[in-house]
Amino acid sequence: MSYLSTIDFFEDKSFVDKYRYTMRTGELDLSWMKAATEPAACEPQNPRRGLTFRDLDSGSYGFSEMPELIRKNRSFAPRGAEIPDGVPDLQAEVNRKSEVWAYNVEGYYEEAMSRQWNATTDIPWRELSKYELPEEIGKAYAQLLTFLTEVEMIATDVPAKWLGRLNADFFEVKNFIATQAMDEARHAEVFRKRALSTGWGLMRASVQNEHNLKFLRDADSFAEASLTLHLQAEGMVLTMFRFSEYISPTDVDKKLFRLVMQDEARHVGYGMQHLKWVLDHFPEKREIVHRHLDEAENFVFGGGYATEVLEPFIILSGKGMKKENIEQGLKITAQFNLKQIEEYFERLDKCGMPERRERSKLALAMEMTRAAINAQ
Amino acid sequence: MAVRFPSTEFFQALQAQMNAERDRFRQLGYFDTDIGIRVHGDGLPGGGWEGVLRFEVFECVGAQQADLAREKVDFTLDGDLAVWVEMLRNIKEHGAADTAHSINTLTHFGEGLRCLYDDPDGHDKLYRFAESVQEFFDLAAKLDIEFPASSTAASAPA
Repeated sequence: MSYLSTIDFFEDKSFVDKYRYTMRTGELDLSWMKAATEPAACEPQNPRRGLTFRDLDSGSYGFSEMPELIRKNRSFAPRGAEIPDGVPDLQAEVNRKSEVWAYNVEGYYEEAMSRQWNATTDIPWRELSKYELPEEIGKAYAQLLTFLTEVEMIATDVPAKWLGRLNADFFEVKNFIATQAMDEARHAEVFRKRALSTGWGLMRASVQNEHNLKFLRDADSFAEASLTLHLQAEGMVLTMFRFSEYISPTDVDKKLFRLVMQDEARHVGYGMQHLKWVLDHFPEKREIVHRHLDEAENFVFGGGYATEVLEPFIILSGKGMKKENIEQGLKITAQFNLKQIEEYFERLDKCGMPERRERSKLALAMEMTRAAINAQ
Repeated sequence: MAVRFPSTEFFQALQAQMNAERDRFRQLGYFDTDIGIRVHGDGLPGGGWEGVLRFEVFECVGAQQADLAREKVDFTLDGDLAVWVEMLRNIKEHGAADTAHSINTLTHFGEGLRCLYDDPDGHDKLYRFAESVQEFFDLAAKLDIEFPASSTAASAPA
């Protein structure tokens, strides 16, 4: 209990007397009825879609006219409300719009809310009894699910960590980040449930991958966290989910990965639109972004190619551990690795950073992978 | 009555099925994207068929033949007639695509269908709406489909 009221209201005679007077006489103050705010009667632009945040983008309530620096509101006051003297200074750490904003963030929020699903009831778990996976496939899949559970746990922690640190005026971003925390928690849930239904349970945690995750968690600013979590890490995980759907051993797993990829693609969309916003409005930040990606990519290479991450993909995509299976698995996994990096660069191109292809050491990883494919 | 594949009638029949299952698609959530469809086949008039599917909120609001060079779409699902037919026959046979015939699996490495796009943001919409896209095509299980004679040899039996 670190924050204490400066008044003990139960012992404050003037407060208690005023309360008793009001309750006895019905004499109301009503000064709040004259709040210095704009009247609003927002309506859905598209009744089929419902009343969206975009429909509320009006005057002092809207986000389009929000300034870059939020100087006036340091409290919980919702944007557009009158802020009376005496509200607490919550000391939000992030008060610059450019650090959090993204084109269409309000649309991503609405999409997130309408596309929520339930890991307990939307996956046809009972149908798993139709399948019996060979031991090496089952164990490889359980290892992949162990890795994905680790990833999703940190992906839950990061948005949750930043949520309360953003200024209350960034209402739409805070709500989007809240949906992301829920999405990631659901992903951790569904991967854990699937691992514990394979017959093998969880396998081994990944040392190198956890260092990568710690790097994500300990970003110095929300902008850094978003760059590495939403765009770089989740972009690569999105390609991984699509690959996981591709190699999934059952129809149940196919559906599971389709559902998680939907959420992940939405987070990547926010990350892309945020980076575009930053580069459009603050081009001087380009070098800072490059420097952060330099280290992020170092972790990616170390984490993504750790044996407990790489080998399950090889076994699952080759559908076994015989020599011919491994040869096939190597080819397919190498193609996946190339695709993962290529799609990452495509997204950066679209955000306005085409020069990243030249600067990034991941280009070397692509060369190594291509050479390995050609040597097979 | 059988609907011929590929044709505007086929995709409009899928559109009608989707809009009849509004509750299911409402549960899946907003579905806002424009998808190009391209079917290559020597036996088809002009060597192929192409069209556009437009989705908005919870509905399919457009399904028609179109010149994709003139249409703005988020991504295009592009493939040979034999691959499309095999996918649809598989859906008919199993009631939904099996593990080898989901849209993501067929497009992932471009071995079956190809997902073509100019904008990675548009490309990612295939994944933002992955389950809705899959369930839309799975509705083909409810249609009586007539395939071109030229596709028979390359296709799995219905």
